[in-house]
Amino acid sequence: MPDSESSILQGTLDLMVLKTLEHLGPLHGYGIALRIEQVGERALIVNQGTVYLCLVRLVQRKWIRAEWGVSDNNRKAKFYSLTKAGRKQLRAETENWERVAGVMGRVLNPQAGN
Amino acid sequence: MLAFLNRIAARIRGFVRPGGLEADFDQEMAAHLEMAEADGLRRGLTVEEARRAARVQLGGTTQLRESWRAASGLAWLDGFALDARLGLRMLRRSWGLTLAGGLAMTIVITIAAVAFVFLDEFMGRTAPPLDEGERVVALQSWDAQAHRRRDVPRRDLQRWGATLKSVEDLGGFQTIERRLIIDGRPVEWVRVAEITASGFHLARVPPFLGRWLAEADEQAAAAPVVMIGYDVWQSRFAADRAVIGRTVRLGEIIHTIVGVMPEGFAFPVNHRYWIPLRLDSDTSLKAAPDGVVFARLAAGVSLEGAQAELATVGLLPPTTMPSRDNAVQATTAEARRPRVVPYTFAFTDDVERGELAWQQRIILLLVSLLLVPPCLNVAILIYARTVTRQEEFATRFALGASRSRIVVQLCVEVLVLSSTAGAVALAITRPILAQIGEIIRRFPDLGGSLPFWVDFGFSWRVALFVAGLCVLAAMIAGLVPALQATGRVLPVALRSVGSRTRIPLGATWTALIVAQVGLAMALLPSTIELAWGNLRPSVLGAGFAASEFLTARLSGDRDLRPDALRQIEAGLGASDVTFAAALPGVEPQTLIEMDDGTGGARVRRYVRANQVDRAFFTVLNVPALAGRTFDGRDFGAAATAIVDQTFVRQVVADGNAVGRRVRPVPASGAEPGPWYEIVGIVPDRPANTSHGRMYVPALPAPRGPAPIHIVLHGGPEPVVMQRRLQQIGTNLDPALRLDDVRRLDEVLSEAQVSSSLTSCALAIVTLSVLVLSAAGLYALMSFTVTLRRREIGIRTALGARPGRLLVSIFARAMKQIAAGVVVGVAVALALHRALNIEVEGGWHIPGILPAAAIFILTIGLLSAAGPARRAVLADPTEALRDG
Repeated sequence: MPDSESSILQGTLDLMVLKTLEHLGPLHGYGIALRIEQVGERALIVNQGTVYLCLVRLVQRKWIRAEWGVSDNNRKAKFYSLTKAGRKQLRAETENWERVAGVMGRVLNPQAGN
Repeated sequence: MLAFLNRIAARIRGFVRPGGLEADFDQEMAAHLEMAEADGLRRGLTVEEARRAARVQLGGTTQLRESWRAASGLAWLDGFALDARLGLRMLRRSWGLTLAGGLAMTIVITIAAVAFVFLDEFMGRTAPPLDEGERVVALQSWDAQAHRRRDVPRRDLQRWGATLKSVEDLGGFQTIERRLIIDGRPVEWVRVAEITASGFHLARVPPFLGRWLAEADEQAAAAPVVMIGYDVWQSRFAADRAVIGRTVRLGEIIHTIVGVMPEGFAFPVNHRYWIPLRLDSDTSLKAAPDGVVFARLAAGVSLEGAQAELATVGLLPPTTMPSRDNAVQATTAEARRPRVVPYTFAFTDDVERGELAWQQRIILLLVSLLLVPPCLNVAILIYARTVTRQEEFATRFALGASRSRIVVQLCVEVLVLSSTAGAVALAITRPILAQIGEIIRRFPDLGGSLPFWVDFGFSWRVALFVAGLCVLAAMIAGLVPALQATGRVLPVALRSVGSRTRIPLGATWTALIVAQVGLAMALLPSTIELAWGNLRPSVLGAGFAASEFLTARLSGDRDLRPDALRQIEAGLGASDVTFAAALPGVEPQTLIEMDDGTGGARVRRYVRANQVDRAFFTVLNVPALAGRTFDGRDFGAAATAIVDQTFVRQVVADGNAVGRRVRPVPASGAEPGPWYEIVGIVPDRPANTSHGRMYVPALPAPRGPAPIHIVLHGGPEPVVMQRRLQQIGTNLDPALRLDDVRRLDEVLSEAQVSSSLTSCALAIVTLSVLVLSAAGLYALMSFTVTLRRREIGIRTALGARPGRLLVSIFARAMKQIAAGVVVGVAVALALHRALNIEVEGGWHIPGILPAAAIFILTIGLLSAAGPARRAVLADPTEALRDG
């Protein structure tokens, strides 16, 4: 279960950051924000700065770790990568999300469920 | 839960390294903007457009920074920093509270920190500073019945070494004292470790020069060899690298130096000389602290595993082994069992492992509880201040600050005070510990240096302990008044903002003032009596010309020859010579019981006991006040004792001591000793101490290693005496040690050092309680006068006489002071009844209780006088305008 204080949007962003890092490997904040913008068609985050708040939370929970490194363009940047605890959390949140999405799908479209 | 703990840890990291986190964030944002701008340029935007687009995509940086700070826990830090700044400002403004409260907190935190370091180093440490020190253990023979560590027969040591698989490098040591003779240097007595070669393998410290002791050196036929410490090599051999192969004489045996150990090495305890322990002897290894069987736990074996294996191997029956304490062992054979303990624990005391941890916790708890009285006093002052700050809190409350926010603010303000006290306490703890270390170093058992694992320097553990005490002090002194003030005062204060209505003082305030005065009153008589009891010998003197007496110590590993004492007497060529087990004034404390002769309950009491020879009372010029002193009859079969006047006053209710019977209370499980019949009463020697003394006749030539003290009336200069004694010792028996020549007044002064320190500590604590009480009363009066300023102004304007005004102002303060004094007198009386002040080292002072009550009342009146005078002298028009 995600943090009880988390809003749905915040929980969703956490899940998206974790999934992005699992999919693409270690990535800097700008890369994560771009990826989420591309996949979410700019519908999920209002601005890129929101990603950094999410990253702080995830680092504090030890679901991701941060290390300074050098980007493809030879710029110094902070790279985030998934931890073992983060992978476990991602699995749990993915299952939870699929279950909720399934239920919501059946609720919103009862005929499809039948 | 884990995620929550991780968040807390991250906040603490943020607290410790706020600047670093901020810099990280700035760098990360700069990198983000740079990358976004580069992307914009690639998309064909101009530099300016790319920069603008990057900033728009990122969002408002100020808002983002604030959100990021909140998420990182740094916003909380800002609030804390603001509260701390407010606290510092309040401390500057309320300098009286800062001085009085800070002093009291500093004293108590210092006492607690010293106790913590002391306990931590002597009782809490489980691993010596050796490679894998936590795996080094001691194997002991534990007498569960007598609750004592016993000697370990060397055959058991050999058997354990050959059998046990759970430990390795098993060996043992014992400390002996030998006369060291090096060519061209004065003769000196040194502590030598007789140790198995395995001790050096266990310590894993390579020699600085030469080699370790080897197993071959332990054979009876092997040539005697010795290893020396680095500082011995420096001071006795001028750091000569060719020292290996040179010879020194230890006692009567010439040893060849085979190695020098590196600087700081002092294993097994605090040794600088090491010679091989011969295992072929049929004797026993001394019990700790003079000897220990040591080993290192084998890989993968726990202490419990080693204990289980040792229990199956067991100990040999003690009756088959000749041993120094065989007589005692024979009676307790079944109670003895082998045990494995952490190495440093072996030297702690005659205790079980669990007991020690509890003892340590209880002592620390009691010491920490010392914080409560000064913190309660500070709480009163803080409460007085919070009431006067009602409008400030009410305004903050009205502006949206929660009650908890204001409580936290007050607690942080007190935390600033307690942290300052803690920092000062940490700073002065070190020199105090250095002094204590110097005193402990002089204990005969330690031979001039502390065990190598004891370090009185700074440690994070003591810093954390002090930090914990600071937080505790802030909680006691800040939380109670903060909750009281915000709970009751805020709603009233909200209504009274801007009006002339003032908040009245509540029952809590009155109760705290009464409790404060009561505490000062209750403690004052007992602390004065305790302090006076400790100071009396220094102030009033010993009651006899102690400087006319020379003393010396006679010791050795062997029993004395029957005529040894007479030979020493003859060698000194003086007639005024006497021998005693202890020197006057430094006798050991013993619990005795007295038979009252009627078959009723026996009186038990701690007294100082000494064994003396026939000439003792004659040489010290002590006449019998009743009965007689010792004569020929007492040194045969008859068990007789002589007691002093203090003993009679403390132990014998009717004063008729002669003819009564007295004996030491036996240890748990041991057979009681014989009764001694009191045959005489003598004056106190030394006088003015609070200890009663009992003297019993000493055997002409005591057995065993316990030292005997020589007291000589008149005699030559100490240096001459030392030379003469050395000559006598060499002629009589080279193994005898005759040294420590001092005048008796020096001995008595040294014995007074700890008493004087106790008196100082008591005086400081009492002074701080009094200062706090006075400050509390002053605050009360100031507050009362402020509240009644308008009323006083009207009465003055209407022509009220100053005397009448003063009485009305004093009335409330005096009621509270008087109530406090009454409560305090009742507690003091109960304390006096429960606590026999003379047993605790104090001295009963007639009339102390009324004198203390008058003193407290006077302090109260003086504290109240200033504010009362201000009220009476105030200009009525000003009071009416401001009030």
